[in-house]
Amino acid sequence: MTLSILIWLPLVFALLSAIWGNRAAARLALLGTLATLAIAISFVVRFHTGGGMQFVTDRSWISALGISYSLGLDGLNLVLVLLTTVLFAGATLMANLRSDWERPSQLYMWLLAGETAVLGAFCAQDLILFVAFFDLMLIPFYFLTGIWGAGERPERVRATTKLVIYTLVGSLLMLAAAVATGVLTAQQHNSDLTFSLAALASAPLSRGSQEWIFLCFAAAFLVKMPAFPLHGWLPDGYRTMPLPALSAFSGVVSKVAAYGFLRIVLPVFPDASVHFQELLLLIAVASILYGSAMAFSTTNARLVVGFSSVAQMGFITLGIFALNQDGVQGALLQMVNHGLVTLPLFFVVGLLAARAGGSEDLRDMGGIAFRAPVLASLFLIVGLATLAMPGSANFVGEFLILLGVFKAKVVFAFVAAVGVAMASVYVLRFFIRAMHNRVAPSVASREVGFGDLAVLAPMVLAILALALYPQFGLKRSEPAAKASVAAVSTQSAQVADATAGGRP
Amino acid sequence: MSTTTWAWLVLLFPLLGTLVNGLGYKQLGRGGAGAIGTASIGLAFVCALGALFSLQGHSAEHRELTSSLWDYAVTNGDVDAKLSILVDPLSVYMMLVVTGISTLIHLYSVSYMRGDRGYARYFAYLNFFVFSMLVLVLGGNFLMLIVGWAFVGAASYLLISYWYRRGTATQAGIKAFVINVVGDVGLVLGTFFVLRHSGTLDFLGTFRAVHGGAFAGHHGALVAGCLLILVGAFAKSAQIPLHTWLPDAMEGPTPVSSLIHAATMVTAGVYLIARLHPLFEAAPAAADTAAVIGCVTLLIAGTIALTQTDIKRVIAYSTMSQIGYMIMAVGAGGYVAGLFHLMTHAFFKALLFMAAGSIIGAMAGAQSLDKMSGFRRSMPFTFGCFVVGGLALSGVPPFSGFFSKDEILAFVGHRGGWFVALYVVGYIGAFLTAVYTWRMIFRAFWGEPCAEARELEGGHLAHAEVPTNPANGEQEDTDVGFPGPEHTIAEWALPMKVAMSLLAVGATVAGLVQIPNVDHVITNFLEPTFADSKYVHDEAGNGMVYFGMALGTVLALAGIALAHRIWVAQPGSAAAWRARFKPAYTLFVNKWFFDEAIDLLVVRPFAAFGTFSRRTFERVVVEGTLVDGTTSVVRAGSSAVRAIQTGFLRYYAALLLLGGAGVLLYFLISAS
Repeated sequence: MTLSILIWLPLVFALLSAIWGNRAAARLALLGTLATLAIAISFVVRFHTGGGMQFVTDRSWISALGISYSLGLDGLNLVLVLLTTVLFAGATLMANLRSDWERPSQLYMWLLAGETAVLGAFCAQDLILFVAFFDLMLIPFYFLTGIWGAGERPERVRATTKLVIYTLVGSLLMLAAAVATGVLTAQQHNSDLTFSLAALASAPLSRGSQEWIFLCFAAAFLVKMPAFPLHGWLPDGYRTMPLPALSAFSGVVSKVAAYGFLRIVLPVFPDASVHFQELLLLIAVASILYGSAMAFSTTNARLVVGFSSVAQMGFITLGIFALNQDGVQGALLQMVNHGLVTLPLFFVVGLLAARAGGSEDLRDMGGIAFRAPVLASLFLIVGLATLAMPGSANFVGEFLILLGVFKAKVVFAFVAAVGVAMASVYVLRFFIRAMHNRVAPSVASREVGFGDLAVLAPMVLAILALALYPQFGLKRSEPAAKASVAAVSTQSAQVADATAGGRP
Repeated sequence: MSTTTWAWLVLLFPLLGTLVNGLGYKQLGRGGAGAIGTASIGLAFVCALGALFSLQGHSAEHRELTSSLWDYAVTNGDVDAKLSILVDPLSVYMMLVVTGISTLIHLYSVSYMRGDRGYARYFAYLNFFVFSMLVLVLGGNFLMLIVGWAFVGAASYLLISYWYRRGTATQAGIKAFVINVVGDVGLVLGTFFVLRHSGTLDFLGTFRAVHGGAFAGHHGALVAGCLLILVGAFAKSAQIPLHTWLPDAMEGPTPVSSLIHAATMVTAGVYLIARLHPLFEAAPAAADTAAVIGCVTLLIAGTIALTQTDIKRVIAYSTMSQIGYMIMAVGAGGYVAGLFHLMTHAFFKALLFMAAGSIIGAMAGAQSLDKMSGFRRSMPFTFGCFVVGGLALSGVPPFSGFFSKDEILAFVGHRGGWFVALYVVGYIGAFLTAVYTWRMIFRAFWGEPCAEARELEGGHLAHAEVPTNPANGEQEDTDVGFPGPEHTIAEWALPMKVAMSLLAVGATVAGLVQIPNVDHVITNFLEPTFADSKYVHDEAGNGMVYFGMALGTVLALAGIALAHRIWVAQPGSAAAWRARFKPAYTLFVNKWFFDEAIDLLVVRPFAAFGTFSRRTFERVVVEGTLVDGTTSVVRAGSSAVRAIQTGFLRYYAALLLLGGAGVLLYFLISAS
């Protein structure tokens, strides 16, 4: 079974549900995501830890331009592919619980089309193919936000426009940068034009070219994450996006950006990565502090989760730009952890709003734990994982990230550690103001239903399983993480030597 | 069965208790939840005894046993954490103290919490706490220790906010949790410093590395690491300035205060320093810091306890002060003395809290000493327990606190040099201890019986007409999540009586295992753990020991006499004392203004940062500058392409500006 099946299967189901019509769309889409999940699991089972790039598909696509249809799985993307299929199955199930969608067949079509784009971006081993999938991701979410978003039409338009312009600017920069990478590499090395990532990594560009290309890629990825201060689209976008789409978006689309740093930027532009290390670490730390501060001062429950994602993505960026194996492994684990908590958190926001008279504002909540002990317990487990309590896999991820940064640049580790304490404030504030204290006037609490449990319980079990055995992720990512930082670590060693030599 | 198997069983039973009580909260009746909760901890105690006997079967050099289940976080770098436990005399000792005291407190809770509607939830949390504490003391590497460390913090949070309808309880919960997370962060960063040069997270491996000279030439890193680890220890053990959560934690049910915030969790810092003693001995600056902070804490907490009127808070400050003694002891290198006091303190402090719970039951939930008086006749059993606990706490011979406190002070005095200052402060603290303890006892039990006491003499338990929160007088929201209207007292409930009696026996005789020149049970038992310590053969001379014992006895009796004079012999003279020492009184009654200082220096700046981010930065910079372009696109709509271009241009301009600023900042930083 090739990776192509995994990638395109959701799209097949997307088209089927569009053709079949509204009645069967929901079930069909669920079937599609579950089938994709099953296939992803089969890949994880067959994966040889330490075996390098596996399940490779490599066909020439546009041979004149050196673009190939090249896919593969290794330690970097294996677990992320699994995460993607899990979260899209969860998001589809979430959508299934609501039966009052307008034009459901189209909703599911876009959702599944989004899954294909994300999986394609994760599996692509060709730079142009990656860029293509990365840009394709935008389209489904554009429609999902514009058509099924919350609020009045002008608000939706505003939110989608912001989202599109922000990410489009990033994407255009990235496209230009990608083309330039291929062309300049061919020029500088007198070789044939190719966009194969492996080939690009083995023939590095000159330092000057690397630097401006790096900035273009970084801009695209940081917007998508989003990182401070490029998060301007987030508040409106998150407030508007329908919850199932938002869960998938925040859960995995942001991870594609972080993954892009590991797959493309570090191996292909090692000199620039070392050169801009401190800038990126600075952005990461700013995202952590700013995201946390926003998360503990906003009263909109969605935005608490949204800004907590800014902070968490900050930690992930921090780990990546520690530019050592600890940091990268931590970042990879944290991507999975964050995906696993994001979906249930957004789902819980929906459940809370349903109990607080439809409001997503914390000021309208309170005392919901009464009559809903199961909801309260599951929320608490997810919440404690979000704040990276030791004992959760999130902590292991954060531990490795901080350790990596500690080894690379001590100061950043100390500043980022403040963010760890701030996370406990915003998560507990969210939990307490929603679940505890006096019952708010508009609150009518009730226990979660079976459908809700079908979404929450598997996610919580996954969180607990990973908490008991984080090594599941670490073991698989180890060789790839090492390879990803191999180029930059030799680079930084050279820089260190040069500096040492310069100062006798 | 092997020693480590016993230890794994010790962990297993509380975990099972948690799961059964947590998942079966609907099926288990009241009796079921309490029985399962208590039995699971009782079984853990039995297994801890099994581990003890099994461990003693090994020769002294082979009493460090490890066992691991699976790889937890292992990379090919230096992170090598397995899911492992370390069983040695120290962890077995802690296991016995934790499970032993916990069993009694669970038993007490069976009756005390009977009126509460969240009964199964309570036992699930309490079992989870014991499980966490056992993970903490058994963890075989830094990561497992940190996991247990954070789990007890979470359990403590859950139990402080147990009555979650009370705003005061949820507030106290988040405060405790956040301060504990600050401690966790310190512990993690400290671990990094150690890990960097030791190359392993494993405890035994780290100790080998330290003895093998891994830190030769990296002394600064070791000191920094140990100081950061101390941040963790201080946060958990309520040492200054990270102590402010502990008095607020009294919002939890009284048995919780007894178990977590007196007998076990708060002593984790003492355990931590003892466990990591090879590191601290190699970094004497850090160890000395611990000793000094412990000493400062014992004095400050003692002075605050003199002036508090909430009976639980008096005991809470007393706890802080006593842990100050222990931290001072282990900081000075007197590990056995510190751990000995940890054990005796667990007995008498748990007992005092239980007795206080009984009085609070009689007072229908009220906790103020101003309202209590004359309970001597109506509650003879509770009174007896209070007296035993009070004598032990004050250090009157032959009660347990006398021997353990004396051992600490003798060791500190024996260190000589500037430690003599700590030694003197320790005795001042001992005098204060006797005064505040007996102030509490005299005020609650002597004098004219208050209305509740008279009602009890007539055979009725007082009930409040409207249940109110004693902390702020707010009327309770009476669903679940508030202390039920039903109360009980030890005199009327057999399980409470049994638990308190056993503790009273412990508080009386536990000191007899370690009498100078007579027996050294604890020293001998813990010997293998501390065999590598450079202080292992340090012992105070006979003259110092006997002088200390005499001085301690005199100070304790003098303190009791002074308390008797102020609050019994000359009632009303307290006001005169307050007037005479007005500045000191103001300082003490306001708890040395720590809450205010922390609010001003930490809480407000962060809150201001949040408000600034949300109100100003987000609107002006992010929305205004960065998004302005976008909104103008929207406004222009489809009318003109030109407008769109302007929008894009502005956006680009803003991005350029920002990029420029970023690059500038970057060069500034890399240049510095």
